[in-house]
Amino acid sequence: MSKLSFFLRRFHSLIALIPLGIFVFVHFMLNSSIFLGNEAYMTMVNFMKHAPFVIVLELVLIAIPLIFHGLYGIYIVYLAKNNALQYKYYRNVAFYLQRITSLIMLAFLVWHVYTLRIAGGGTEDVYGILVSTLQDPVGFILYVVGIVASIYHLTNGIFTFCITWGICVGDRAQKFFATCAILLFVVMSIWAVGILLALAAA
Amino acid sequence: MVNLKDVQYIKLKIKRRNSPQEASYWQDFQIPYRPNMNIVSVLMEIRKNPVTADGQKVNPVVWECNCLEEVCGACTMLINGVPRQACAALTDKLIEKYGDRPIQLEPLTKFPVIRDLMIDRNKMFDNLKRVRAWVQVDGSWTIGRGPRLAEKDQRIAYEISHCMTCGCCLEACPNYNAKSDFVGPNAIAQVRMFNLHAIGRMQADERLEALTDKGGLQDCGNSQNCKQVCPKHINLTAHIAAMNRAANAYVLRSFLDK
Ligand code: HEM
Repeated sequence: MSKLSFFLRRFHSLIALIPLGIFVFVHFMLNSSIFLGNEAYMTMVNFMKHAPFVIVLELVLIAIPLIFHGLYGIYIVYLAKNNALQYKYYRNVAFYLQRITSLIMLAFLVWHVYTLRIAGGGTEDVYGILVSTLQDPVGFILYVVGIVASIYHLTNGIFTFCITWGICVGDRAQKFFATCAILLFVVMSIWAVGILLALAAA
Repeated sequence: MVNLKDVQYIKLKIKRRNSPQEASYWQDFQIPYRPNMNIVSVLMEIRKNPVTADGQKVNPVVWECNCLEEVCGACTMLINGVPRQACAALTDKLIEKYGDRPIQLEPLTKFPVIRDLMIDRNKMFDNLKRVRAWVQVDGSWTIGRGPRLAEKDQRIAYEISHCMTCGCCLEACPNYNAKSDFVGPNAIAQVRMFNLHAIGRMQADERLEALTDKGGLQDCGNSQNCKQVCPKHINLTAHIAAMNRAANAYVLRSFLDK
């Protein structure tokens, strides 16, 4: 089927935002409950762990799209012949960073999902593992690097998504969306580090 | 900054290759400084007396050129690592920008080298054929002139019509390489132009069909180098985004219509 590559590429792009990108926002919102104190955070984790059909939602909205986007993404990374050192234009560096951050994100997600979701255990255990990891400076730094890289991948991705789907076409529109993406990157990074600091202080 | 008055020689470092089967090698040349030269006239000077900087007599350097006014694209090469036309690369400007060090000339890397700076550019024309970048007028009767184009469409088409298929955008594109069969930014822009054309638009769907085939516009990864290096300042990234919109609509429409 000659349209296969077109469909795969567009599907790869679409699921990156819906549902994966949306999930990231929801995930950040839920984790912000740490700002309301430990009690609130535990209640949230407990609720999420025991929500009805949670396993179905996790599979359909997170695991399957993530595995598809990740695997096909690695193939896309392989296809490029990067030249950011020769052509140091801003967008080309962003193109390269999109690929570097995707690989950092991959490593981070394997670690994050394995320790907290797969090996995890009950609410108390998950909370304990998370807080002790973040209280260790190395663990904290790894978390910051992993999350900031992921946010870069998502926010730069939102901008390229707008081109892929023909939402922004002209120079002015592209500049507008690119600026919004940078702002979003800054805001989400501060937000994420805030959550990590609050958890480490718990 | 170098004062051009102090420059005695125009120095060059040229990547050479005797045949496609042989390995490439570097050679240094220098010619007495003269103002207002370009890379083509420097190469002609070397051809008159093909002697390297260290006095060795060698075969003259092979390169292609044609129009000498940056509209044919034949003399495109890497000049200090940047893909551009040799005829429009003024030596005084290069020396002012990069200093007195040798100007480095290399053949484009995304095309098969035939000899020295001469490359086989056929792949670009094959890609234009792939996306049907022409106006279909052959038939049993005349089609006529077609309706007039709106001014705003004329502007877009005029900009794209400056494309001379020189290959700079393909050279700089990270996704155009031996691992992929991406048609490249210039071919995508050409589809936009022919799909705006009064008669060309009658085959708009066929071009969109070809453009969404394997190696089509979906292989663009938005590095946007194409726009940066285009010697004709064609806004390739905007044309790609516009074709993304058209291609998505086409694929959806053809799914729903059948
Ligand atoms: C973990 C493994 C992942 C890998 C290897 C990966 C790889 C990639 C690659 C290579 C691209 C560029 C696509 C292109 O140039 O067309 C990309 C785009 C994108 N990724 Fe990922 N990604 C991963 C995870 C994620 C996740 C979890 C999200 C969502 C939170 C995400 C969001 C995006 C977005 C929004 C785009 C832009 C799509 C577009 O340009 O149309 N990625 N990804």
